[in-house]
Amino acid sequence: MKKPKFLAFMLTVLFIISSILTGCSGTGPAGTEEEKPDDSSDSGKTVLNFWTPQWGDADKEWWEKNIEAYNKSQDKVEVKLEIVPGDAWDQKVVAAQAAGTSPDITTMNYNKIIFSAEQGKILPLDEYTDPAIWDDLYENIAEFVTLDGKHYAYPMLAEPSAVLFYRKDMFKEAGLDPEKAPVTWDELIEYGKKLKKGNVFGLAAAGNAAEYGWTHWGFQAMVGQQPISEDWSEATIVNEPTKELITFWNEMYQSGILPKQPLGGYTDIKPLAEGQVAMQINGSWAIGQLRNDYPDLLDNIGVAVVPTNDGNQDKPTASLGGWTLTIDGNSKHPKESAEFIQWLLAGDEQIMVDFFKDVTKFSKFTARKSVDEVLAQDSEGANDPWRKLIAEEVVPYAVAEPIYAWEVSMAYATALERVMLEGTDLEKSLQTAEKEINDYIKNNNYAGTNPKK
Amino acid sequence: MNNTLKKNDMKTAYIMLLPIVGLLTVFVVIPLLYAIFVSFYQWSFYQDSIFVGFSNYLLVLKDQAFYKAMWTGIKFALIVIPIQFVAAFLFAHLIKNLTAKVGGFVKTSIYIPHVISGVVASIVFMFIYNYNGGLANYIVSLFGSEPIPFLADVKYALGSISLPAIWLGFGFTTLIILAGINDIPDSYYEAAEIDGANTFHKMIFITLPLLKNVFLYVIVVGLTGAIQQFDLAYVMTNGGPLNSTMTPNLFIYTHFKNDPYMGYTISAALLLFVIIGVISALMFRLINSKQVED
Repeated sequence: MKKPKFLAFMLTVLFIISSILTGCSGTGPAGTEEEKPDDSSDSGKTVLNFWTPQWGDADKEWWEKNIEAYNKSQDKVEVKLEIVPGDAWDQKVVAAQAAGTSPDITTMNYNKIIFSAEQGKILPLDEYTDPAIWDDLYENIAEFVTLDGKHYAYPMLAEPSAVLFYRKDMFKEAGLDPEKAPVTWDELIEYGKKLKKGNVFGLAAAGNAAEYGWTHWGFQAMVGQQPISEDWSEATIVNEPTKELITFWNEMYQSGILPKQPLGGYTDIKPLAEGQVAMQINGSWAIGQLRNDYPDLLDNIGVAVVPTNDGNQDKPTASLGGWTLTIDGNSKHPKESAEFIQWLLAGDEQIMVDFFKDVTKFSKFTARKSVDEVLAQDSEGANDPWRKLIAEEVVPYAVAEPIYAWEVSMAYATALERVMLEGTDLEKSLQTAEKEINDYIKNNNYAGTNPKK
Repeated sequence: MNNTLKKNDMKTAYIMLLPIVGLLTVFVVIPLLYAIFVSFYQWSFYQDSIFVGFSNYLLVLKDQAFYKAMWTGIKFALIVIPIQFVAAFLFAHLIKNLTAKVGGFVKTSIYIPHVISGVVASIVFMFIYNYNGGLANYIVSLFGSEPIPFLADVKYALGSISLPAIWLGFGFTTLIILAGINDIPDSYYEAAEIDGANTFHKMIFITLPLLKNVFLYVIVVGLTGAIQQFDLAYVMTNGGPLNSTMTPNLFIYTHFKNDPYMGYTISAALLLFVIIGVISALMFRLINSKQVED
C-alpha cells in the first residue's frame, strides 16, 4: 500500500505549491485584485504605462518625441510608451484586461468608448481636467465620447472611412474626363465597366465580411437605414433601402468591376497606387500613405466624394472613425494620466498641428476648433485641395460609428456575402440576417440597452 | 524480481516525473480548473462577476455558428489528413529505397516545411493565390481560364488553405512513417518471400499491421492538430468567405477578441476540448492498438 500513499503525498504537495503560485482568492473570478507591474521607477517618479497601436513610422516618431518632451517637462511622472503592432493590438488589449495588467492610458476607437464606459473599463476625465478643453471640441465629436454628461476619452483625430480615389491617367486612357469623378452609383458602375481592362479592375473597396461590416456604416447612413432599431429592440434590415444597397454592391461584384478576390486590405491604397485598379474607395488616411510612399504619383491621383445612390452629395458617404486616449478603469493614477492626456492632446496646439501637417499630411482631421484655426492660417494647410474637399464635403455629413454590437454589423455583412458569393435570394438572405439579429437581441437581453437613447 | 529494488525504482521514477507534473499542474491543470470555474460566471474584467450557471454553455450549444465551426474543422481535417497520410506513406517507401546519401538529402528537404511557421507559409501561399498575377492564377491562365478567387470563393477557400497545411505536415509525417518502416525486421520479408508472397502480400500482411501504432500516432496527432488549425485560416482568410474557413480555434479567438464577456469564449473552448478528446478516444478505439491498450 506504499504506492497510493506516495501518490497522495505528491498530489498534496503539488496542490499546495500551485495554490500558493496562483494566489488563491475565493471570491470568484476577478481581474481587479492583481498588482500592476512597474508602479514607480527607480527615481521615485510615478510611471504611467501607455499603449498605442502602430499606424506608420512617422507617427511612431511623433509619439516618441512628444512623450520624451513631456517626461522632461516635469519631474513627477514618467510616461512609458509601448507601440504595439496593429495586428496584435486587439488580442493584446483583451489579454491584458483579463490579466489585470492593462496600461494606465490606452488608445481607443470611438465606437468602443460608450460600451467600455458602461462596463467601467475606462474612467471619466472631467474630474481631473480643465473644463475648457471640452468646449474646444466640435460638438458632434464631443458627443462620441460623452455618456451621461461625462467625458470618457479625449479625441485625438477623426477620419472619414470612405473617400473615392482614382487614377487620372487611366481615366484619360478610357476616354473619361480626369477632372470629373462619378457622382451617382449608376455612373460608378458605368465608369467601372469602362475602366476595367485586362488585369486592371474598375474599383477596389472592402472585400471580406469584417470589412463590409464597418465600411458599410457610411453607406447604410447614405440610404438612411440602420440594421437595428434605435432602441435596439428589433432588427430593421429587411427593407427597400438595404435591398437597394446590396443590389448595387452585388452588381459591381458580378460585373467584375470589383475583383472577385480582394487585392489587399481595405485600408491599403496599394492596389490603386500600383495601377491594379482605376478607382479605390478608402479612408482619408490613404492620402497620408500616398504622400509618404508614392510622391511621384500624386499628380495622377484624383480625390472625390464617394458616389451616392441619387447623386446628392450632401448626405452621409462615410462614417467618422478615429482614435482617442482613455484612462484604464483599474489605473491607480487617473489624475496623472488625465494630466498627460490633457497636455498632449488638449494643450499646445502646435503639438497636434505637427501631427496633422507633418505626420499625417492632412489625411486626418482634428476634433479641436483651436487646432483647425491654426491649421487654417498655415498656408500649406489652407491651400491643400484634398484636405479642403474632405473637410468641407465629407466630414460635415459623415456619421458617427455605431455603438451597437459588432454581431449586428456582421449580420448585414454576411447577408451581403450570401447574395454575392452564393447567389442567395436577396429577400431570403436579409430574412436570415433579421433572424440572426433578433436572436442576438433575445440571447443578450439587448432590447432597450442603447445607452445613448 | 527483488521487491526493494522495485520500490526504489518507483520512487526514482516518481521523482523524475515530478518536474513535468509540476509544470503541467501549474500551466495546464490549474488554468483548466480555473477556466471551468470561470465558465459558470458572466466574467467581466472590470465589474463583479455574476454566477450564471450553465447559461454560457447553453448559449454556445444553441449557436449554429459553433456547430458550423466544428464541422469546418472536421472537414479541414478530412481533406488534409488522408492526402497527407497517403502521400507520406508512399514517399516513405520511396526514401527507403534510396541510397543513404540521396535519402539523407531528401529527408532534410522534405522536413524543412515543418520548421517553417504557419504564418510565414500563409503569407507565401497568399502570394501564390493572389488574384492578380499570383502563381496559381498564372497557371490557371495558361489554360485560358479566368482567374480564380482561391481565397474568396466559398467553393475553393477551405481547399486552398488545406494545401499549405498538407505541405507543412507532409515531411514530419513521412519521417515518422519511415522510422516505422525501418523498424520492421528484414527477416519478416525474407521469410514471406520464401513462402511465395508477392509485394502486395508483403504490404498487406507485414507492413500495414506492423505500422498500426505508427499510423495511430500519425492520425491522432494529425487529426487533433488539423481540427485545431488556427494560423492558416487566420492569416489567409480570417475565417471567410461566409465563415467557410472558420475553424473552431479561430471561431473561439474571434469571440475572445470581440465579446464583451468571456463566458461564451471559455465555454466554447472547453466544449472543443471535450469534442477533441472524444474524437481522439474514438480513433484509439477504432484502430484498436494492442500496445496502446496495455
